[in-house]
Amino acid sequence: MKRALGHSWQAYLFLAPALILFAVFSFWPVGYGSYLAFTDYSLIKPAHWVGLDNFRYIFDNAMFVAGLKNSLLFLLIVPAIQVGAMALAVLVNNNLPGIRLFRAAFYVPVVTAISVVGIMWGFMFHEQGMLNYVLMQLRLVNQPVGWLSDDAIALFSVMFVTIWRGLGWYMVMYLAALQSVPAEMQEAAILDGANRWQRFWKITVPMLMPTIMVCTIMSVLAALKAYQEVLVLTQGGPLNATFTALYYAYDQGLKHLKLPRGLAASFVVSLCCIAIMLPCLRYFRPKHR
Amino acid sequence: MHAQRRSLPQPILQYVLLCAIALLCLFPFWWTVVTAISSEGNIFAFPPTFWPKSPSLENFAEVFRVIPMLSFLKNSVLITFLTVFWKLILCSLAAYPLARMQFRGRKLVFGLILATMVLPSEVNFLVNFITITKLSLVDTYTGVILPNVITAVSILLLKQAFEEVPQDLIDAARVDGASEWVIFWKIVLPLIGPWLATVGILSTVEAWNDYIWPFIVMSKPEKFPLSVGVLYLSGTYGSSTRVIAAGTVMTVLPMIAVFLGAQRFFMRGIDGAVK
Amino acid sequence: MSRYRLLAASLAIALSFNAYAAATEHIEFWTMSLKPKFVPYFDDLVKRYQAQHPGVEIEWVDFPADLIQTKLVTRIVAGSPPALVNLNVPWADEYARDGLIVPIDSLLGDGKSSYVKAALDDLTFSGKTYGFPLYSNVTVIAYNTQLFKQAGLTRPPQSLDEQLAYSVQIFEKTGKAGFSPSLAKADGFMLQQGLPILTDGKAAFNSPQHVALIEKLAKAYKAGGILKDSLFAEDNFPAAIAAYNGGRLAMLSAPPTAVKRIQSDASDIYAITDIAPAPLGPTGIVDGGWLIHFAVPAGVNPKLMPEVAKFARFITDDENQLAFAKLANVFPTTIAAANDPYFQHLPPNAGASEKAVAIGAESMKRSRTLYVAGIEDYDELRRALVNAVEAGVTGKRDPKAALDAAVVIWNKKLAKQAH
Repeated sequence: MKRALGHSWQAYLFLAPALILFAVFSFWPVGYGSYLAFTDYSLIKPAHWVGLDNFRYIFDNAMFVAGLKNSLLFLLIVPAIQVGAMALAVLVNNNLPGIRLFRAAFYVPVVTAISVVGIMWGFMFHEQGMLNYVLMQLRLVNQPVGWLSDDAIALFSVMFVTIWRGLGWYMVMYLAALQSVPAEMQEAAILDGANRWQRFWKITVPMLMPTIMVCTIMSVLAALKAYQEVLVLTQGGPLNATFTALYYAYDQGLKHLKLPRGLAASFVVSLCCIAIMLPCLRYFRPKHR
Repeated sequence: MHAQRRSLPQPILQYVLLCAIALLCLFPFWWTVVTAISSEGNIFAFPPTFWPKSPSLENFAEVFRVIPMLSFLKNSVLITFLTVFWKLILCSLAAYPLARMQFRGRKLVFGLILATMVLPSEVNFLVNFITITKLSLVDTYTGVILPNVITAVSILLLKQAFEEVPQDLIDAARVDGASEWVIFWKIVLPLIGPWLATVGILSTVEAWNDYIWPFIVMSKPEKFPLSVGVLYLSGTYGSSTRVIAAGTVMTVLPMIAVFLGAQRFFMRGIDGAVK
Repeated sequence: MSRYRLLAASLAIALSFNAYAAATEHIEFWTMSLKPKFVPYFDDLVKRYQAQHPGVEIEWVDFPADLIQTKLVTRIVAGSPPALVNLNVPWADEYARDGLIVPIDSLLGDGKSSYVKAALDDLTFSGKTYGFPLYSNVTVIAYNTQLFKQAGLTRPPQSLDEQLAYSVQIFEKTGKAGFSPSLAKADGFMLQQGLPILTDGKAAFNSPQHVALIEKLAKAYKAGGILKDSLFAEDNFPAAIAAYNGGRLAMLSAPPTAVKRIQSDASDIYAITDIAPAPLGPTGIVDGGWLIHFAVPAGVNPKLMPEVAKFARFITDDENQLAFAKLANVFPTTIAAANDPYFQHLPPNAGASEKAVAIGAESMKRSRTLYVAGIEDYDELRRALVNAVEAGVTGKRDPKAALDAAVVIWNKKLAKQAH
């Protein structure tokens, strides 16, 4: 008991620099931003409380509603990225000659600036672009596919690019996590006659759980908050099919300077994030430690 | 080590798989490199050329002529290094109590940190710029670095790293009378080496590619980092697409080099220290 | 002790008086994406001005066009805006409405008469002028003579109908697209064809003529004449110029500066490129001029204003505009400079980019930025219109039904704004 209380002030000493910086540069702007969502702030005039007006406006707007739906659809990428990144990490977790270069290769999409990513994938996805050219040469399709111009599949094309960019990032984390799986446990299991699959599921995955939890949460948040790929590839089209909630927030708030509306949209996304994150945290908690 | 070698599928199959994925990951960057190295021909020809025509380094030289690359590089290196250095220190300091100390308000602090990941952040740069202005840190490196030094993601990752360190180890040290400070610096921190390297890499890339915040804080273009500087190559009166490609390549290559070099730091395993 | 304090205080006061007397007025002006190309021009301009006006310090800063808006807004909110900033007309319209830039009628004074009327009209919102016109870009048509020959066409198109007909023919004979209209600016497109967007404050773009226009476009689209890539994207120019450079597009609407880029990026296509004036609609107006001007942000020290006005008029005067226009392949916006024979004269071995300047100069007189001004949240309405046009042109929906639906959205919104 004494030890527990005695730790408090020490803990806060450790936390002090971070908490101060956080308070000034994170809590304050984020709190102020949340407050502004309920006002009519217009940059040079002082803000007045308007309650739920901004929220009423955005829910009345086709672009935001489509965006909210699409942001929820974006959650589909979470299992894809996590499983993919884990698989990649396992694939490169060895000493094959040249493996270091392969790891770096998988990381290149993460390092490339989003604007370049947009240009290149735009080039690939155009109706007269590379992808259709290759597919038609291979006779897999006989008409060009509108990867970015067909409103039924445009969102999935954008999601694909997001996955492409994210795999390397999470791969690095899973790779680091794999390093802490002790070799002895693996060897003991092999002596016991377990095959690769069993070892993977019974030993590796449980040890990776903490990392899986952190990565899943980050991935869920990133999916709900996706907007950069939309910005460089489609700007919301075709026919609002690739609008995401945060792209709407960015567009309204920063391009057209209707900050309160952008912040209201962002606030709604935050509520969704919290709604989804809580069950995730609860799901992972018992298994963890 | 024996265990791993015996259980791997044929190396040939592995290489095929690796190459296929690498191709998918690399081709946009490869096109950029080809464009940067070519000195003639039509970049937009279709089907696109995946091999440079009349290769030369002329475009790279042109980038140095057109924009003050050395200044931009210097700024990038400075900002990135300082950001990552302070980030690793301050975030681990914050993550340790959250992982391994019992104290009042722990859940609240953790919740607040998660909250910053979730709540609206569009006005962050606006509000932070006003704060920086009030602190007279406009046009300074400190002004650029300060808000980026603490991030929720880094704290989360490092917290999880600390949680991997066996509790017994820490308890033993506490019983031995070691202070938390000593435990932190001498015992726990060295054990999370790979995670520090991981967070270090991810932060390095983030700081290197960050362009909006440094752009807003710095008033004088000479102080811009490379991520902003290369934008001067584009624009209506900008350089040719080839030169822009060369600029892009020069922004990406340092990060690949850093990644290759840092691999040895996070590929080392923990050998089990509970004895 | 107190004697020293008195001495120190009086010294301080004396020194501050000195400083005040020698106070320099500091004017910071921002340009968009003009560095590093025009460094000698602006450095020289600043030097000349400072020599003629001792006591004034001019600072020139240039920012990439993509980022300048963010920086401007941040600085206005933080209370440290620049004295002058480069903007284009749509941005100026929004900023004027939000009060982020201030009217400059009083600063223009009698200098107003030296500017081209069309340019000033573009910058007049709610009866007040909001910018010092700097330079303008007019679109011309760059066309691929080889594709034209293959399609059996002998002269450039002179109207939209001809453009559409040519595109279909080009696709039939060569398999390449004909042209790529900027349909994200569907409102400007319709206005240029003489079709109103609003009548008596109500949406009016579902008349039979509007529907006929969409049907014409849909027909050409279906026949393959219109480039499908990024057709409705906010900025379809990168896709269009990439296609043109790759020989996949026969006609490209571009300003003369872009024609110069074709020369460096795709020399083989440049060699077979010829230029034609952009077709006029029944209105006799050429859409697509990019008018760049200097605006004064909100929050600039009022005491500084007279000096700001002087400098703004200096940097946009006949002599300086003419020099800049020649350097940059753009068009000046003062009457005297615009009438300079330089723009009418075609050098003997004129390549595409020289022709573009001469032909553009001719169109310049009839160039206006076409859009609907003065409506709150206009962007949302525009997008509703563009979506309707997209559905109609791509064949996803019957054009009349799509336009009708958009009209309903517009009228609902406009009714709300009316009170």
